[in-house]
Amino acid sequence: MVKRRRDLTVMQQLARGPIDIPFLMLVVILTAIGVLAVFSASYPTAMNEGLDPANYFIKQAGFGAVGLVAMFLISKINYQTFRGLSVFVLGISIVLLVLVLPFGYGKSTVGAQRWISLPIIGGFQPSEIAKVGVIMYFAARLSKRNTEKHKRLPPRHPLSGLHAWLDEKGVLEPIPYFLILGLVAVLMLMEPHMSGTILVLVGGASVLFAAGIKLYWFIGGGAVAAAGLWVIMTKTSYMATRLAIWKNPWDDGMNGRDKGFQIIQSLYAIGSGGLLGVGFGKSRQKFLYLPESENDYIFSIWCEEMGFVGAAIVILLFILLVIRGYWIAVHARDRFGALLVVGITTLTAVQVFLNIAVVTNLIPSTGISLPFFSYGGTALMIQLAEMGMVLSVSRQIPAPKQE
Amino acid sequence: MAEKRKKGTRIIRQRPDRRANRTILIRSLFLMALFGLVVFVPLFFKLWQIQISQHDYYQELAVQQQTRDSTVTANRGTIYDSQGAVLAMSATVYNVQLSPKDLMETQETYREKVEDAQENGGTLPDYPEPTDQFVAENLAALLDLEVEDVMSHLENKNSQYEIIKYRVEPEESEAVQAFITENHLSHGIYLMPTSKRYYPKGSLAAHVVGWVNPNTDNVGAYGLEAQFEEELSGQTGRVVTAKDGVGTELLYRFEDYYDATDGNNLTLTIDATIQSYCESILQEGVEQFDVQDGAFCLVMDPNTGAILGWANSPTFDLNDPWTVSDPVLLQYLEDIKSGGYTKEEAYTKALAEGATAQEAYDAAIQEAEKDVLYSQWANKTVTSSYEPGSTFKSIVLAAALEEGVVSESDHFFCTGVAQVEGWTGDPIRCSDRDGHGDQDLAKAVANSCNPAFIEIGKRLGAEKFYDYLEDFGFLETTGIDMQGETTGVIWSREKFTNVDLAVASFGQRFQVTPLQLITAASAVVNGGHLMRPYVVSQITDADGNVLQHTEPTEVRQVISEQTSERCRTILEKVVDGGTGKNAAVEGYRIGGKTGSSQTLKGEDHTIVSFLGFAPADDPQVVILLAYDSPKPNSPGSNYTEDLWYISGGNMAALKAGELMEKILDYLGVEKTYSATADVIVPNLTGLTEADATTSLKKNNLSIRVVGDGDTVTGQIPASGATIPGGSEVVVYMGAEVPTDQVQVPSVIGLNVEQAKAKLSAQGLYLKASGASEFGSTVVAYEQSVQAGTSVDRGTTIEVRFTDSTASGAGL
Repeated sequence: MVKRRRDLTVMQQLARGPIDIPFLMLVVILTAIGVLAVFSASYPTAMNEGLDPANYFIKQAGFGAVGLVAMFLISKINYQTFRGLSVFVLGISIVLLVLVLPFGYGKSTVGAQRWISLPIIGGFQPSEIAKVGVIMYFAARLSKRNTEKHKRLPPRHPLSGLHAWLDEKGVLEPIPYFLILGLVAVLMLMEPHMSGTILVLVGGASVLFAAGIKLYWFIGGGAVAAAGLWVIMTKTSYMATRLAIWKNPWDDGMNGRDKGFQIIQSLYAIGSGGLLGVGFGKSRQKFLYLPESENDYIFSIWCEEMGFVGAAIVILLFILLVIRGYWIAVHARDRFGALLVVGITTLTAVQVFLNIAVVTNLIPSTGISLPFFSYGGTALMIQLAEMGMVLSVSRQIPAPKQE
Repeated sequence: MAEKRKKGTRIIRQRPDRRANRTILIRSLFLMALFGLVVFVPLFFKLWQIQISQHDYYQELAVQQQTRDSTVTANRGTIYDSQGAVLAMSATVYNVQLSPKDLMETQETYREKVEDAQENGGTLPDYPEPTDQFVAENLAALLDLEVEDVMSHLENKNSQYEIIKYRVEPEESEAVQAFITENHLSHGIYLMPTSKRYYPKGSLAAHVVGWVNPNTDNVGAYGLEAQFEEELSGQTGRVVTAKDGVGTELLYRFEDYYDATDGNNLTLTIDATIQSYCESILQEGVEQFDVQDGAFCLVMDPNTGAILGWANSPTFDLNDPWTVSDPVLLQYLEDIKSGGYTKEEAYTKALAEGATAQEAYDAAIQEAEKDVLYSQWANKTVTSSYEPGSTFKSIVLAAALEEGVVSESDHFFCTGVAQVEGWTGDPIRCSDRDGHGDQDLAKAVANSCNPAFIEIGKRLGAEKFYDYLEDFGFLETTGIDMQGETTGVIWSREKFTNVDLAVASFGQRFQVTPLQLITAASAVVNGGHLMRPYVVSQITDADGNVLQHTEPTEVRQVISEQTSERCRTILEKVVDGGTGKNAAVEGYRIGGKTGSSQTLKGEDHTIVSFLGFAPADDPQVVILLAYDSPKPNSPGSNYTEDLWYISGGNMAALKAGELMEKILDYLGVEKTYSATADVIVPNLTGLTEADATTSLKKNNLSIRVVGDGDTVTGQIPASGATIPGGSEVVVYMGAEVPTDQVQVPSVIGLNVEQAKAKLSAQGLYLKASGASEFGSTVVAYEQSVQAGTSVDRGTTIEVRFTDSTASGAGL
């Protein structure tokens, strides 16, 4: 050991530092619970499709196992490598987002062109890559914003004064990021993929926010987003219906048998769980009542089977994971690590929040899956890969000064 | 992208910047607070709200959709007669149900199959296209419906429950099932099991058994079916099963059974055989005597109060209670329709309400039809009352004997008219206008003498008389286990005057129900015990366990054993030579009392009745037989079209005798022999003349020898034949036995002697029945073998005699 250590660079040595055990354990526990939840929630669906009852479970467990191994391997990588990779990841994801429009699939099943099939990897959503890509790239670039050379217009340029002033106030700085976010968002909206877009924007915004972009951007951005949301909700019929259903799921013109059906079934599932639940595996709502019971609405089944206590435990685990994530971020060796972890953690937290908020009808429905729980192999793999990055950052946290 | 050029220096490229790091720290902590805590608070809140606060609400809704709650119909109990014959039973039949919605899907499937076959060259379906028209036409043909009606059901495209025919018989439902199978229509036409009530014996004991109304879910509507609805119907069960989102049942998950409990079975005291005797006697009498307003017959075991037979006329088929089949009622409806007479009230009422003449006519007919139905359904023996007339004298007799105010040695003198203090109407006359003259108590009863009974009533006094009305149960219902029982119409004790007492003494001006009367009469003859009548002997559950067994209940002892015995002796004389002599049956000791009651309908409406019991020394049955209003051949006449004198003695007693004989034979009551009682001819073959004579003498028979052989070689009648005692047996000793047949002569209209002579001239024997005193006024009116029929020599011909005179008739 001693001999080998001498051969390593400082960086390499750091990359082999102790992994953050609490975060790792939380991820492993959540993944394990998630896979079990898939088992319980998916077997009626599998049977209904004429598959082996354990079909979904086996696949998910396989992806989970491979994902955990991948996570560990990624955690071994010196995360500084991601700086360089980030631009490629972003580039590739943009290319895939373009390619998914003509070559993807999903139109017939969910009415949106979200999946693309690649050799070896199989089918996955380019938007999943895009989320990581944006966070990685933003983190990489923003970590150096203090040293970035400020472009100046030639002094004789008529707008040079204004430009310099704007630059000084930080108005110009985020514009390239906005352009990237805009491009990704437009591409994703073309699929369309509303929830993915929200997550990409949230992920990007969190990195921008943490990096220190002027607050007025966020205040302004928030205002614009709110206004936009208000317009969409009130002026478009699509959102208007969703809003009406959110207010009263039974008010869908068919007494809850049409568009409100899913949320009603979700509420039935959660509500019948009570304090302690009906017992693991004993959900009734999963028997073809609750659509997507192994996917976006898996948490409803979990609530039904494990009750308020079980649901609270899972949410607490998520909270611990998120807090530990931010803890890693603030302790990271450098700003890139911090921003990377902030982005990934925020993304995860928002996804958890949105999913649970939707299934409990706290907010109008958007199709957001629950990290570690919802069925979907590649999604789980990417999720775990992101956790691997966080763990990689955690390895390089300087040991607290002794004495 | 410059940062990527030199690998080794990456770490240095990001210059430490305290301010930037501090910003990141602060903002990350802010994000931590926000996304690590704040946003999750509303989630907890919301989950608490759904899972804890609204748990019951959501759970109920969820369970509602997750479970299928189906009912399991309990089998209605069976009703048996006392011998175990089934009177009412339930069986599974089917409702034919259409689901236009499902049928559309089936039609769609068919079209897809055809398209598929055309595109891919497959085979076309080998059954016809299930168009609405096709389905409607076929079902209409199978179920005897109108095609348009079925089509109109099929037009409710969103419906899944269109029942086109209820409770179809097995053959029809099988045909429908075959049609469904052949044409692949199992998704669209359904046979839904339900139950139907069957009455295997049709109209037998219709008013007792009652019926269920299929239009109100087979709930008992009349009779015991209604009275014992709760016992019979059982408990509807439930099966709660879990189902998945598309309605498939999830086996072995969350099943919950609440078993259906089958209804309990009733065993009646009614004996189907006795019941059928009663019904045919009613039917015969109604035809024979032109009876207008129905008839009834009750048979009771006086020792227990069990009702053995309980018949009403008009009657109806329990399997189809809305159909009128009684000829008298049909005639009435015909008369109304043809305008013979109208339902005036209904007619004028409809007119007053602005109906046209035609509508009013229809309304009147409808009203009449309703009346007719109610009249055929009503069990008049408990739901209505009548004036008991002279039959009531048996009760008065018992009371008077018990109180000791009269005795067998007392004499009464009848002048034909009775004087009653305070009586303002026409003088009260006795049936014999010339008066019965001097008579002892037994004779007064046998003569049904009104003045004598007015005297007896007077001796009893109003107070005592009324006490006995009470004690014999006339002021209260009998408490029988049958619905709709009423009491009679009787003066209150305070208003019971001596005039009332006078008329009450011979059974007039008050009303009792037939059931009250027979129950009281049973007490008169059974040793004085007033029994509570009952018709359900036991209730058993579906497994045969006895749940309830009716024990005979004595309400009270009314008169003493001795008084009862004296009553029996006196009442036997009514049949043995009195007004009830037409009820006499050779070999049986029958007692009774005749009666002719006035009705509120007035002139020409008389209820003729006979209250009888047998055997007189130890009564096993008591019967009450009555015909309501035999139609006189002209207004005011005492004779019917067929010249039957309208009276209890000439009509009811006559039929009661027939009925009594059948019942006693059926019950195996032994006949007591008299000189002319039937005997069985012994086998004489091989005997000497002396031995044969002895053998015959032992059997109350005489001998006539033909031939001169040593031993008997043949005999007429053959051994084992039953002939009246005292008859002559022809014994052949070597001579050949004639084997030719003889023609039966007509003896109708002859008296006993003449009939006997005419028959024996042909080598036939006479067995006389009917009127007990074979005087010159007693003539044959019926013979068992029609005149002109060829029969073997030695055959016994039964001839029924009746006393044709009007003596003692009115009462």
